[in-house]
Amino acid sequence: MKIITCIKVVPEEQDIVIKADGELSFDRAKPTISAYDLNAVEAGAQLLEECGGDFIALSVGSGGIDNPKLKKNILSRGPESLVMVADDRLKDLDTHQTAKVLKAAIEKVGEYDLILCGEGSSDLYAQQVGPQLGQLLNVPTINSVSKITQSDGKIVVQRTLENEVETLESVLPALVIVTSDINLPRIATMSHVLAAGKKPATVWTLEDIGVLELFNTIEVIDTRAPQQVERKQDIVEGDTDEAIQEFITKLSTVLAK
Amino acid sequence: MRIMVLAETQKALTELCAGASQISPQVEAVIIGDQLKVVADTIWYIPAQEYAMLEDYTESIAALIKQEKPELIIVEPTKRYKLIAGRIAAMLGTTVITDVLELEKDFVAKRMVYGGTAIRTEKVVSGSTIVMVGSGVLQSKSVTEVTVREERPVQFIEPKIRLKRIAREEKERVAVDLPGAKVVVGIGRGIAEQKDLEMIKQLALALKGEIGCTRPIAEAEKWMPKETYLGVSGLIIAPEVYIAIGISGQIQHTVGINRSKLIVSINKEKSAPIFKQSDYGIVGDLYKVLPALIKHFG
Ligand SMILES: Cc1cc2nc3c(=O)[nH]c(=O)nc-3n(C[C@H](O)[C@H](O)[C@H](O)COP(=O)(O)OP(=O)(O)OC[C@H]3O[C@@H](n4cnc5c(N)ncnc54)[C@H](O)[C@@H]3O)c2cc1C
Ligand SMILES: Nc1ncnc2c1ncn2[C@@H]1O[C@H](COP(=O)(O)O)[C@@H](O)[C@H]1O
Repeated sequence: MKIITCIKVVPEEQDIVIKADGELSFDRAKPTISAYDLNAVEAGAQLLEECGGDFIALSVGSGGIDNPKLKKNILSRGPESLVMVADDRLKDLDTHQTAKVLKAAIEKVGEYDLILCGEGSSDLYAQQVGPQLGQLLNVPTINSVSKITQSDGKIVVQRTLENEVETLESVLPALVIVTSDINLPRIATMSHVLAAGKKPATVWTLEDIGVLELFNTIEVIDTRAPQQVERKQDIVEGDTDEAIQEFITKLSTVLAK
Repeated sequence: MRIMVLAETQKALTELCAGASQISPQVEAVIIGDQLKVVADTIWYIPAQEYAMLEDYTESIAALIKQEKPELIIVEPTKRYKLIAGRIAAMLGTTVITDVLELEKDFVAKRMVYGGTAIRTEKVVSGSTIVMVGSGVLQSKSVTEVTVREERPVQFIEPKIRLKRIAREEKERVAVDLPGAKVVVGIGRGIAEQKDLEMIKQLALALKGEIGCTRPIAEAEKWMPKETYLGVSGLIIAPEVYIAIGISGQIQHTVGINRSKLIVSINKEKSAPIFKQSDYGIVGDLYKVLPALIKHFG
């Protein structure tokens, strides 16, 4: 089976700084793998182990995603090779543009059986790139997949929705969006990290994939931290009987209201 | 101005149509089969097809939108419709704004980004605007202002691709009303074992509250139903009192609870971020604190 997992590179959330005016600063935020895409990578790694074939990781974004440490990180988790479209014109893409660029990159890669996406990117969490990409590629597209099994040219998936769980069968090629609880992503060992350094990584520009025009479907007006609610922060320290009693007394007065 | 509403559940359809009628008097609903009832100016009716999944109507809905060109399309944020709306957007060359928190005039939408660290204000600039809004976002004063003026059939278009459904199982319904609860007890990874939920239930009972949780408790441990986790990708609640037990207070969780009137937390680490967002708290072992609370309030 030939598998492609789409991975978004996002700024490390913990290192995003909220400035005094409520705007965000990404100066200290290093590029990292979007949290739920780790599950999509793991799903690909497990299928590769099961049925062999080929497993490529694909990411598109600004020039900054072409980062040696990050590339090693991705490749240490199971993919056999990595393809990036890294181009500064691809900064702050909306989901429509992302799907378009991914489609062009996938077509340049060539043949595939299965495309895997994460449930949602940890920065935008739009849950939209997968559905849009599947439609652009004109392949069966299934979201919310919590289990994948394959047998001769087909996949059978378990899809967990709000009130029901369904089992669906699809022909290949297909695009599958996995849930974040489909598996537990492996922790890369030192030898995986070393091996990752030797795996092929290709970096393309927009010209390489033949995308000459990209238009915005969304205009971002503003991105700022929400106003924090002021809290009393009346915190009792320690769990001695007296401290617990003090806590209970405070609670009793407010809970009684 | 024309607004089209797409929903999977009766509750959302009623609410979204009523909410839409506050934005424009021209509300149109797309109804598949005859299971859902609604009041709207126009009902676009797609006859139910045998063995069809909701997804099999995607092409039909897209063709309807292409033909009628409503300015705004409001969609219920279910998993099925997230897929369908995305595919429709791709067919139309546009995008979808999901999980909208506020919809202002000129369809300016607000949604959370970076796990709740920030709110983004944005606007679609290509053709129809497709937004997915949850319960409670669109305000509606009255539900009955619009009546059905027209019912119009929509031609079913056979999809190019059909998925084969082999089996389908209803999930057990979760009988909690977290958004409606006055008191919510929230639990996190500080809980060591599933059997300790007994103790949490006792506390919730004593405080007449419902139980919610963090995402890992629902998704990784699977101790609680997925429908009960709170946060950016879960429920957003605003109870009178929220009691966070063994919860660190990561932003993805706290954006779901920070509209609570009062926040109380129990955590053994003094440095846990949750304390900064709490009115009352205790730095201590929940296994010592909870039995005392249950004894006192029980
Ligand atoms: C895109 C994205 C979306 C997400 N969406 C959500 C969401 O909607 N909701 C959500 O909840 N999370 C969400 N998360 C996950 C979130 O980032 C955190 O990982 C999660 O909220 C942490 O859960 P926790 O507080 O239960 O666990 P932890 O962070 O592990 O905290 C456990 C706490 O328990 C305390 N503790 C341990 N033992 C005891 C004891 N005996 N007594 C008292 N205290 C104890 C510890 O000090 C610690 O503070 C999301 C993540 C991503 C990337
Ligand atoms: N820039 C990107 N490069 C590669 N894959 C992406 C990119 N953006 C989104 N994806 C994929 O699409 C999924 C959903 O993203 P989103 O629609 O932004 O929530 C992610 O989990 C990834 O699998």
